[in-house]
This record gives sequence, structure tokens and C-alpha cells, in this order.
Amino acid sequence: MAGKLSKAAAIVGAAEANEIGFLETPISSLQLHIEAIKNLSEQTGVPISKIEGVFSTGWSSELCEHLGITPKYIDTTAVGGCSFEMHVHHALAAIYAGIIDIALVSHGENGFSSRSIGGRGSGNYGVGGGVTSPAMEMTMAYGLGGAPSNYAHAMVRHMHRFGTTTEDFAHIAKVSRDWATLNPRAAMYSKEKHPFGGPITVEQVEESRMIAWPMTILHCCMVADHGGAVLIASPKVAASLSTKPVWIAGAGESMGHSNMLEMDDFTATSAANSARDAYSMAGMGPDDMEMALIYDSFTITAAMTAEMLGLAPRGEGHTLWKDGHAAPGGKFPINTNGGGLSFNHSGMYGMPLLIEAYRQLSGTAEDGINGDPGKQTSAKTCVVNGTGGALSTTGTLVLVADE
Amino acid sequence: MLPRCRDCNRVHWYPRFLCPFCHSDNIEWIEGSGEGTIHTYAVQHLAFGPWAEEAPYVTAYIDLKEGDRMLTVLRGVDPHKPEEIKIGSSVVVEFEEANEEMSLPFWRVVEK
Repeated sequence: MAGKLSKAAAIVGAAEANEIGFLETPISSLQLHIEAIKNLSEQTGVPISKIEGVFSTGWSSELCEHLGITPKYIDTTAVGGCSFEMHVHHALAAIYAGIIDIALVSHGENGFSSRSIGGRGSGNYGVGGGVTSPAMEMTMAYGLGGAPSNYAHAMVRHMHRFGTTTEDFAHIAKVSRDWATLNPRAAMYSKEKHPFGGPITVEQVEESRMIAWPMTILHCCMVADHGGAVLIASPKVAASLSTKPVWIAGAGESMGHSNMLEMDDFTATSAANSARDAYSMAGMGPDDMEMALIYDSFTITAAMTAEMLGLAPRGEGHTLWKDGHAAPGGKFPINTNGGGLSFNHSGMYGMPLLIEAYRQLSGTAEDGINGDPGKQTSAKTCVVNGTGGALSTTGTLVLVADE
Repeated sequence: MLPRCRDCNRVHWYPRFLCPFCHSDNIEWIEGSGEGTIHTYAVQHLAFGPWAEEAPYVTAYIDLKEGDRMLTVLRGVDPHKPEEIKIGSSVVVEFEEANEEMSLPFWRVVEK
């Protein structure tokens, strides 16, 4: 039986910034936000002035000021890439409670551009987790910095416990590229679009440059520019719009730790908990899902998360990709946009997950966002999972198409 | 030295204001055995700041004999032969001077 919040709100639109990827002309995170919000407003026909709640990572007030709006619900949850799945959860609760009817979830992050305008790595990440936190004092000293340096430890432990190999995980990278070659907006769509774009083989993944053993660079997501926004509305507002609603049937969030130092089991994440709650609210289970969108910061993240979501037994997450089920034409499509590995990843990948879920379940994937086509599947249900930090925080959504 | 809760007797790492297990603030510092085992590890080929010159080097999470876990850089291992490092191997601590005021614990694999 579904929980009381199930389908209390729907995603009624999803849009991106005008240009995304490895932008030649550096762009600001704020501009990426604003372009996406403008496109979202045009797509849904909902004026920006009608937005009642704003959800983003760490600077929602600045965003509202720039838009010239004063919302009555402001949320700046910033706990990594899964924050946007949590924003949807929070917006669902706020709409169910009757506080607001229309919520904006927005993301803009110039992960690539920031490198050429003085920054490093990702764009605005929000607050917390800085070098002065006690746990970071105990890890920074040992030269752990970027995400790959941490996640590699999880892959080694998974290989030790389950007998998996880097080749097993390489299939995830290969399949992500298969999807990306069907999506013109994917950064790795083709060789013409990016020198390293186009199809790749498992062997190429294995033989690419080592970043953090056992992970080569093709086991790691890119850091590009991305802006995106989704609009969430009450059933009454959703019924008044011309865009199709995609119902939020279930939502859950959880965390295991902040710093990987406190990760108890390196082969498991809190996605098991956030998924349990999301499935419970939806009154559905993994067997009811027809596709999945999983944060693939690294190949190991996708494999482990598939296990946590109940889509595969423990230690066998990679088989969904290796056996071809997750690939184009397979029986259980995963990361149909090309994922963080081959579509786009700006530092926090939660928003592209939401946008692709909306595209697929509203049947608009091939109509495209901002004019470009993608690849439409026939799925009517989708489990969406974001991971944040160092396999730390998770948000899970169960989304279903309108009947 | 490791923090240990006087109320529940459990050792925790990193140091806290409250015991993360029972939330007591009755915490003491004890001298650890300096023994542990490798929980998992990785080889860092891409590093920033002062560690950039050291790459590649082997990072590892160590299960302390007293309980809980510590991150380190493993000493006495070959970063070019990561397959030879075994999870579960015994390690002992050694301290290296980081600057005039501080030493850092590093861990070395011991034959057993």
C-alpha cells in the first residue's frame, strides 16, 4: 500500500541551460541556473513570478534575488550530488503539507569553466566538509583529495569481497558511451564533439590512464558545465498545465557518513535505506521498476548502487551492464542519457538524473530539451538514485508516468 | 594515542567532543598498541599539493586492533605492484615528523 505522500506532487517540466558540456567560452554557475530556469518557464508556461518554493544547493537566496522573487519556502540542502533528489523529497513534503503548490529545483555548476576562471574542479558546492572539519584533518594529511582517491578504496574492497574485477566494472563505462552516442547533448556523443568522444571498448577502459588504482580515467566521470531545473507542482496545478506530469510515487533519503573514514562497509551505501523508504512510500518494489537512473560518479558507484536498490544481488550489480540489460535495446535500461560518465557531470549530478527521468517518463526524450533529440525508452516506472560526497549521502525517488 | 570513552570503553577515531557510540563526553586518551590490519587500499596516481611529488603512493584504511578505523599512507609497499598488497595483512604504526610541531602516524606491513 502506498504511503500518504505518494503522488502528492508531480514533476511537470525539466529543462537545461542553453549550452552544456565543455564550453569554449567560460560561463558562470549563476548563468547556467538562470538559462535553465528561463527555459523551464517557457516549457511549462509557468511564469517565474508564480514560483512559491526554491530548492537548490547552498545559495537559494542569491538565486531568488537574481530572479526577483521572494518565495515562501526556501531550501538550500547541500550534501553533494544527491541533494537534488532530496530537494524533490522536501518539495513533495512541502506541497503535501499545503505550504506551497509550485516548487523550483535548480542547479547550475560550471565545473569545467571554473578551471579557466580561477577555480579548480567543481563549481559552487555549498557549505561544509571543508579542510577545517575534524575528519578532514585526519584524511587531508595523507594526500586524499579528489573523489577518485576515495572511491578507489571501495572498488578494491568490492573486488576483495565479491571477486569482481576492473573488467567487470569497465562494462559500465562502455555501456554509458553506447547511450551517449544516441544523445547529441552528451559531451561524449562523438569524436567530432569531443576528441575522446564516441564509442569505447572495455579494453580501452582498462588501458586508459591510471588515476587511482584500480580506477583508470574511463572509470571516472567527467567534470563539465551543466545547468538544469525541474518544476514540481501539486496535482491541481499539474492538471492545469499542458506539459505531462511525472508522478513522485516515492521518495527517501539517508546517509551513512560524511567522511569515508566513517564508512562502515565499503561495499554498501545508504541507498539501501533511502530506496527502502522510497519503495515503501510508492507501494512498489525493485521488480516493479522498468528502468533506472543511477549516479555513476565512478563505475563502482553505479554497480554498488544497483545492488543497494535491489536491482541485482550483492556483488552482482555490474552484471546488469555486462550482460547487456542496461544497454540500448536491453530489458532494463540504465542511464539512458549517457550518465555522468559520458553525458555530463559538473560536480553534482543529481539534476541530470531528474531531467532524464522526466524526459523518459513523459515520453519527450526524442522531442528533446532545447531542441535536441535523445533516445526514448518504453519505461513507465523509474527508480532514480543520487549519491553525494564519498559514498556518503543518498536520495532515492520512485517516479511513474501519468496514466 | 587514541580516544576512548570511559563509559562504554570503546575506542573511536577521529577524535570527537562526544563518544559517537554512547554520546558520553567522558573521554580519555589511551596509548594504542600500534597494531592493525589493512581494510582496503588504493594507489594514488593523481595528487595535489605536497603529495603530488610523492605519487604514486598507496593509501589504506587500517582497522585498529583497539577498534575503529584510520586512514594512512602505507610504507614499505611497491605502488607499482598493488596486486601484491593483501587486505587483512598485519600492519604496525610508525611516526614521521610532518613539521616541528606535529608527527603523523604511518603504517607498515609486517610479515606474519
